[in-house]
Amino acid sequence: MARKLTINDYKTNVWVDWCPGCGNFGILSAMYQAFADLQLDPEKTVVVSGIGCSGKTSHFINVSGVHTLHGRSLPYAEGIKLANPDLTVVVNVGDGDLLGIGAAHFVALGRRNVDLVVIMHNNTVYGLTKGQASPTLARGLHPKALPKPNLQDAVNPIGLAIASGYTFIARGYAARVQHLKELIKKAIQHKGSAFIDVLQPCVTYDNIHTYDYYNKRVYDLQEEGWDPIVKSLEEFPQKAAQALIKSYEGDGRIPIGIFLVNPHVPTFEERYAQRLPNYLKVPPAKEPIEVDGKTVITMRRFKELFGKYIIEFKQ
Amino acid sequence: MNELRYILGGPQGGGLETLSELLSWAYAHAGYGVISDREYFSNIKGRHSYIHATVSATELPRHLTYPVDVVAAMDAETVFTHFDDLRDGGYIIYNSDDDNVSFTSIPSMERDLRERLTSEFKELGVDGTVKSVVKYLQSNRKVRAVGLSFKELLMEIEKREGIVPSQASRYISTILAGAVAAITGINEEDLDYSLKRRFVREDLYRHNRAMANIVIEAVKGQFGSELKLDKSSVKVPGVLVASGNDIIAMAKTVAGVRFQAYYPITPAADESFTLEEYEALSGEGSIVVFQTEDELAAINAAIGAALTGARSSVATSGPGFDLMVEGLGWAGQNEVPVVVTYYQRGGPSTGQPTRGGQSDLLSSVFASHGEYPRIVLASGDHEETFYDAIDAFNYAETYQVPVIHLVDKFLANTIATIPLPNLDGIRIVRGNLAPKGLSGYKRFDLSSVISPRAFLGDYVMWYSGDEHDEYGHIDEDPINRIRMFDKRMKKLDMIEKEIPEERRYSYFGSERPDIVMVGWGFVKGAALKAIEELNGEGIKASYYHIRMFIPFPRESITKIAREVGVDKLVAVEHNYQAQASRLVAMNTGITIGKSVVKYTGRPIYVHELVNAIKNIMRGSVREVMSYGA
Repeated sequence: MARKLTINDYKTNVWVDWCPGCGNFGILSAMYQAFADLQLDPEKTVVVSGIGCSGKTSHFINVSGVHTLHGRSLPYAEGIKLANPDLTVVVNVGDGDLLGIGAAHFVALGRRNVDLVVIMHNNTVYGLTKGQASPTLARGLHPKALPKPNLQDAVNPIGLAIASGYTFIARGYAARVQHLKELIKKAIQHKGSAFIDVLQPCVTYDNIHTYDYYNKRVYDLQEEGWDPIVKSLEEFPQKAAQALIKSYEGDGRIPIGIFLVNPHVPTFEERYAQRLPNYLKVPPAKEPIEVDGKTVITMRRFKELFGKYIIEFKQ
Repeated sequence: MNELRYILGGPQGGGLETLSELLSWAYAHAGYGVISDREYFSNIKGRHSYIHATVSATELPRHLTYPVDVVAAMDAETVFTHFDDLRDGGYIIYNSDDDNVSFTSIPSMERDLRERLTSEFKELGVDGTVKSVVKYLQSNRKVRAVGLSFKELLMEIEKREGIVPSQASRYISTILAGAVAAITGINEEDLDYSLKRRFVREDLYRHNRAMANIVIEAVKGQFGSELKLDKSSVKVPGVLVASGNDIIAMAKTVAGVRFQAYYPITPAADESFTLEEYEALSGEGSIVVFQTEDELAAINAAIGAALTGARSSVATSGPGFDLMVEGLGWAGQNEVPVVVTYYQRGGPSTGQPTRGGQSDLLSSVFASHGEYPRIVLASGDHEETFYDAIDAFNYAETYQVPVIHLVDKFLANTIATIPLPNLDGIRIVRGNLAPKGLSGYKRFDLSSVISPRAFLGDYVMWYSGDEHDEYGHIDEDPINRIRMFDKRMKKLDMIEKEIPEERRYSYFGSERPDIVMVGWGFVKGAALKAIEELNGEGIKASYYHIRMFIPFPRESITKIAREVGVDKLVAVEHNYQAQASRLVAMNTGITIGKSVVKYTGRPIYVHELVNAIKNIMRGSVREVMSYGA
């Protein structure tokens, strides 16, 4: 049996260049621990990231990493997972990346329920461009980097995830690493699109959402007895509605933990497998397409496949 | 008669495609070559749509031209729009119930055409009813008019076959198919073949067969089969009868595509539909056809899939490609083999979404911030596109670069007969792949220009849109920047060395030409026919056909320009600027000063190209063609 992997095995030698005290450290730490707990095979695991501070995450983890474009990490992740469903795919993405420039992809992933984990680093600002308001910053707030108070309303990420159809929806807090680790593990083990909104203090540009701010407000849904599991399809609308109401709780008390788990929706991979009998057995990435440099579509097979386009003449 | 040309016209959504299929398949089954172009508005039902076809007894044609021998009209608008497309002595088949319909009463007709017709009809002395136009054609153009009362024919079929009256209008396609079959002498067996193929349900076949018989009887009695084609001398063991969209989908299955992402766009989307139809490859394989939320997702999902080793592509058109450009840059930066099948249509912006063009050449060559190597190939006809579509993936994987395969709406929607492809000669080249069992795999290993490629799942590896080191980690060091940049860009030198000059162009016609047409893409069909016609008039013409823009056929075009003289070169293109001639200048310093262009969204027709070339030879430097409704 292979050696048990430790947290250190999941670390790369790339220097983690986030600001000292950044909430991202807590997220990264929770990921190392979750990956080690699950003994994820580094070669079969892919961390896909977007652009910005959170985008660098993929370089810090010793599994395959795909550091993509601003807004597009989900399409990359979907392409990877659909072409090779054997891979475990985790996405690290910022709030601006996911809910601003990439919001269409966020909604679309929920409709598909591809078996992915999306970890949103929610710090309410665009950090790497020096602190502009992100889509999760509430109207009227004025973090120190902004010249004027924010004019735009915040989107409700948990609410949007519910409406989009995510089948595992949770919120974590970067400073509660053990709690976040457990969320990440459950999200990876969940079959379907899992979304974790992680409250992540930006110590450089956001002087409002500080550790102190969150420490005073967060409470654990599960500790208060919130049962996120949808027991049957019939129960879903009611459960989703309750979770939605929970997602609007804020400011005074901020719930973290698992909001909703709906195990009754087929994954996108299962939907393809319905149509493609060999899809899960021999996924697209692994199917041979040539034999000795020749196409596997022989002339005979070509004629069988495309017979309706073909006319042959008697010679 | 060894060539037949016809127009079939009617309202969009009114069965025109069925009509076109019935005829194309019948002629193809009889051994003739067919090419059939479809011209239509961005509209689902009601606007004027038409099919323009060439049927040949001597070749598998790729050209379209005017005038035509037959105009078959489903409605009055077709009569008004196309009466002038008929040759003297041609046939007009129309609905005699429309006799008194005036062109002024047709709401779907665009104001511009109505205004042009107003003055034209005034000049010709016709009052603008269908009857008056038909009468004019009969007396001034010796046209034979086949007036059929659709109403009576439909009543007849209702009676004979017990069809519900509300369903009867579905048989209009077959009325016209029957009439065209009668005057062009399509035999029973061939028409039956296409009816059976089109109407799979037995009762539908039976009703349509009966409808066709009624019409054939009526028309044959009165007109005979004057337009009967000679026996076909086309000698091929078999043909594919398919649109460009379908041909590319077939080629992609042969190439081993396992992932195609797309967002619906005309005229590319049909390719993805066809691919989806064959996604299970008879149960043995799996092509994931992924309809995304937008083109941004399409290209980036395709790139993601390519990282896992699946051959991966997108099919799109101009507006979609514009959205994909950022993703293409990521693929360039990360050396990802991904193929963009690019169906050009009329731009800019929404432009002419259902019309053709070649105005995206410069965009496909240059689009992106930053610099990275790419390959751009362009197909001139259905046959070329089959093999090009496969080559695109081989190039992409050999050089680990994005490849753009340029086609256009003309090719996409034109149905043509091509020889059955020869799959024995097709190679699948996957390029430099990393062996299993390495330790410390480096995706961007600098020891060779083409680093051995491993797939996600084989090793731990990193990719980044940022400049990166050999492992794929972000690296802003200036020396690393030079090494990585050079490694990527050196692929252009390899591509330049390894892809032979002969692959990049084709040359047709006289070796000592009086005039050389320089073109690409769908120009080919018209140009080849124009050579024949010009030769017939004593003009030695040739056509230099560009098949690849990156790498560019620098040597051959330079040689030709030197041998025949630059002043004998004329650019022929479906765009305003003669974009390919600008790339000739960029790549060779040769300035082609003459151009024949068309940017109406309609294909170049042989007759107008021949005229334009003659004008060029008389000293004109720019000819703008405009024929076609």
